[in-house]
Amino acid sequence: MSSGPPIRRRPTGPVRPGQQPQVNVIGRSIRRFDGKGKVTGETPFGGDLAGPEAYTALVIRSPHPHCEIEDVELAAARAIPGVVAIFTGDDIGGTNRHGLIRRDQEVFSRRARFMGDCLGLIVAATPKIAQRALEAVKVSYKELPIVATMDDALAEGSYPLHETGNVLSTELIRRGDADSALAESDVVVNTETRTQCVDHAFLDREAGMAYMEDGVVTIYASGQWIHEERRLVALALGLPQERVRIIQPATGGAFGGREDISIQIYLGLAALKLDHPVRIEYTREESMIARHKRHPIRIEYTLGATREGVLTAAKVRILSDEGAYASTGPAVLRKAVSHCTGPYRVPNIHADGVAVFTNNNPTGAMRGFGACQLAIAYESAIVELSRVLKIDVVELKRINLLDDGEGVTTDQKIPVVGVRDCMEAALRRIGWDKRSYETPAPHLRRGYGVSTICFGVGYGDGFPDASRARVRMADDGVVEVFTGGVDFGQGLHSLAAQIAAKELGVDPLAVRVVASDTHRTPESGSSSATRQTVFTGNAVRLAASEVAGQLLDVAAAYTGLHWDDLELRGNAIAAKHDIAGHEDRTVVLPLRQAVRLGRERGYALDVESCFKPRTVAKQKGTGKSPRAFITYMFASHVAEVLVDIETGEVKVARIVAAHDVGKAINPQQVEGQIEGGVVQGLGMALMEEVVSEGGFMKNASFTDYIIPTIVDTPTIEALVIERDDPEGPYGARGVGEPGLIGTPPAILGAIADAIGTQVHETPANAERVWKAIKRSERAGDGASA
Amino acid sequence: MTDTLYYQPKSVDEALQIKAELGAEGTFLAGGTDVVVGIRKGKLKVARTIDLSQVPGLDGIRRHDGFLEIGAMTTHKALEQHDVPAALAQSCETVGGPQIRYLGTVGGQIGTASPAGDVSVALIALKADVELRSAARGTRRLPLDEVFVGPGKTVIADDEMVTRVFVPLGRRSDFYKIGKRDAVAISLVMAAASVGPAGDVAIAIGCVAPVPLRIKRAEALLDARGLSDEAVDEAATIAREDCSPISDHRGGADYRRAMAGTLTKRLLSRLREVTPVKAKPAESSAEVA
Repeated sequence: MSSGPPIRRRPTGPVRPGQQPQVNVIGRSIRRFDGKGKVTGETPFGGDLAGPEAYTALVIRSPHPHCEIEDVELAAARAIPGVVAIFTGDDIGGTNRHGLIRRDQEVFSRRARFMGDCLGLIVAATPKIAQRALEAVKVSYKELPIVATMDDALAEGSYPLHETGNVLSTELIRRGDADSALAESDVVVNTETRTQCVDHAFLDREAGMAYMEDGVVTIYASGQWIHEERRLVALALGLPQERVRIIQPATGGAFGGREDISIQIYLGLAALKLDHPVRIEYTREESMIARHKRHPIRIEYTLGATREGVLTAAKVRILSDEGAYASTGPAVLRKAVSHCTGPYRVPNIHADGVAVFTNNNPTGAMRGFGACQLAIAYESAIVELSRVLKIDVVELKRINLLDDGEGVTTDQKIPVVGVRDCMEAALRRIGWDKRSYETPAPHLRRGYGVSTICFGVGYGDGFPDASRARVRMADDGVVEVFTGGVDFGQGLHSLAAQIAAKELGVDPLAVRVVASDTHRTPESGSSSATRQTVFTGNAVRLAASEVAGQLLDVAAAYTGLHWDDLELRGNAIAAKHDIAGHEDRTVVLPLRQAVRLGRERGYALDVESCFKPRTVAKQKGTGKSPRAFITYMFASHVAEVLVDIETGEVKVARIVAAHDVGKAINPQQVEGQIEGGVVQGLGMALMEEVVSEGGFMKNASFTDYIIPTIVDTPTIEALVIERDDPEGPYGARGVGEPGLIGTPPAILGAIADAIGTQVHETPANAERVWKAIKRSERAGDGASA
Repeated sequence: MTDTLYYQPKSVDEALQIKAELGAEGTFLAGGTDVVVGIRKGKLKVARTIDLSQVPGLDGIRRHDGFLEIGAMTTHKALEQHDVPAALAQSCETVGGPQIRYLGTVGGQIGTASPAGDVSVALIALKADVELRSAARGTRRLPLDEVFVGPGKTVIADDEMVTRVFVPLGRRSDFYKIGKRDAVAISLVMAAASVGPAGDVAIAIGCVAPVPLRIKRAEALLDARGLSDEAVDEAATIAREDCSPISDHRGGADYRRAMAGTLTKRLLSRLREVTPVKAKPAESSAEVA
């Protein structure tokens, strides 16, 4: 095995003003310009924006998970002094509908399909009055049969949640002949994996404000794709898009949980109807009840191999709980199916996926987007195969991991497959060959797990996927970047500044970023799908390099030198190398002067660029695609755990996470994303679970919905591997989601290593681990639970 | 959140006077970590609040006459930082997070009467007594395990308040909690046990019955037979038999019942050893301290 490309060490410190900033701007941990305000608490978030004059809006939600609304009695609530208005479906001018893929969700529902459905909107002078009015509302309704589980949804004669029935969508992959290949395989293993419903649990609850300005509904609310949100608000309210403006305030986390519409339409409607500022701030309980969740997915996995451990075929059946509405469900199901064999070479694949409606929370986007549930499934099958074949799991991976140029599940050939580099780096760091199984007490067992995963970047499958960015030189010589891409904490805006700074030879901290305002910034698609580094990164780079080219032309005309002998460096245009008459790479023109000259000569120095790479729709009947995604991320995590075999408690001691990010434009941000993903993945692996019974959520609070604290967080070592992506900016490929995806399978593998049997249901909490141990004891061997 | 009338007495006598007048209508407010949250969430109907924060003399820890006397308003944090029996210290360390431990009090925990009360379980296993006081009848003292009768229900009369807890000194003790995570977690199951200077044993288990449960049948068996392997196994079996756990979103009844036995055995085995043992699994060498 080659030693692979070098692991990046974090460069020392930020670029300070006065240094030559274009040197090493890329690959340097530039300080975040939004960092100080967030650390000191000065930065206002969505809940901090409205003044005391603003009205408070409060949503009337369904009293039951599935019911026809017969009447909403509002007279008593309206009579309360201070209640300004109560809106229902009669008051909305447009379609009264929203939904990212299907417009299947009513703003004001006449038939509620889950507890979060909205029946009306109270607007009052103060939050207290609004609450009192809410308590005075009486809803009469006819209960409908509750479809609580996926089995209920598929049962014959199940009550249809939508006109099209209870199946939202299906997906498949057909490659080779899986049935024959399995019949001829020396070994075949079967596993069934069940993943849970997970909440995004971001700290910054849904909160914002809206007001009317020059006839434009102006909404401050945190989403993930402001231009799509503007489209949805305009459609629902029946307004032209020009009359809707969405501005994103500072945002505390999203993780996919802000992809669906939340408060934007309510705010817009109230401001429009009342011509007065209005605020909304969800409580934590409301935030959990109203928002979509991660899909619980059940995966039946059959994996075949030769005696030597070479994979022959996979047969995969995927069943996904879509909850009450489509949300991004069809795309999540496609991502699950199209990632069902992960980073492994599997010549024969037969996969089927079905997404079904239930009366649970709609499920939609969340970090990992179907790929993380399937990673748990395929890694579980690999662990099972390793046990049956008695081949070490790492050796089994070495036999079967993809190499450069080979095809993933969809048969898309991937030019750069960094997964082996990631795994070997992670194994070296953890000291795999010398790992110790010693424990401080006989009831404790130590275990190690290795995951290897992949993730397609961007929307893919031929869906139009574009980012636009505008870069202009202001008259004062300051570089301005305009992006509609939202930054919910991941650092996109600092990244955009860093790229513009690199292209224009200025200090990244001096770049002015104008962002996330539908009236001022170009559409940059969503901050999701691990896409913004590649998409907005490339758009900024294209725009900035074109402005740079114009500036070089200006300087060339001014100096008489060839533009190709010049470069932008240190707020100036300078000789690229020693030129006669310009020895020692002298500065020929300060930037500000170049801007003035350029303007005089008619240069706009203002460029909008678009990055819109082509992907190819899936082939009918096979689900294959030569280019389902523009690029793939690869990663490998190694987890070390201690399991108490008497109680089932698991303590994660250490996680090493190696990611091929192509190029770490800002290494500290990359490491931060990986570490955050690891902690979120640990929560999914061990503790997080939305518990619902018959459509009623049982744990809609942070007292009962348990996410990891710092005390639960292990030592995390993020290893950044850099194998250039052919198309990413400076070779970068993205980083957002794989940090989560790689974590649950590594931890579950480590638990299996420790206790000799697998836990097939997440979260692997103490009770489930204990039950797996008991089952295995009863079975009398280390057989899989 | 509904509005409530609020009283702020300046002495124990005044507090008891108000409580006697209000009866069941009046709710004492100690640290507020349960009462305030309950009111805000609409889960606790409180007509009148009697805030004890300005009443002097209700907090503090002192050794007296073979007992540790703990004032009702003593916080978990204060106990954690004081030289108290191991089970008590460990239970206080695992209650909520630092913010809750700085506010929550021993008296409040007893008054709340949660079957998941970590400190109540530790105190019962330490054979602690509680002192109750009323304006009309003065003080009375009874074993803590006799105080609880159901979730949120106690024998404390409508005109009484918890004033002190008495913990007998000289008992070796241990505590173990299973939660959904390692901090700010309501217990899934937890247990405490102690051995007195004369070898008498006490065991209490939380979250496996409507009240923090003392396993007296097992105690009697161990007092008769000592901490032999067989006796400890039998005690664990009794603990499983004598509890009546429920299933909820935190965990299943089967698991809780099994853990009642497992933790009983674990704690008793540890108490047999002379050296105190850490409550949680030791962490990896790679763990950051």
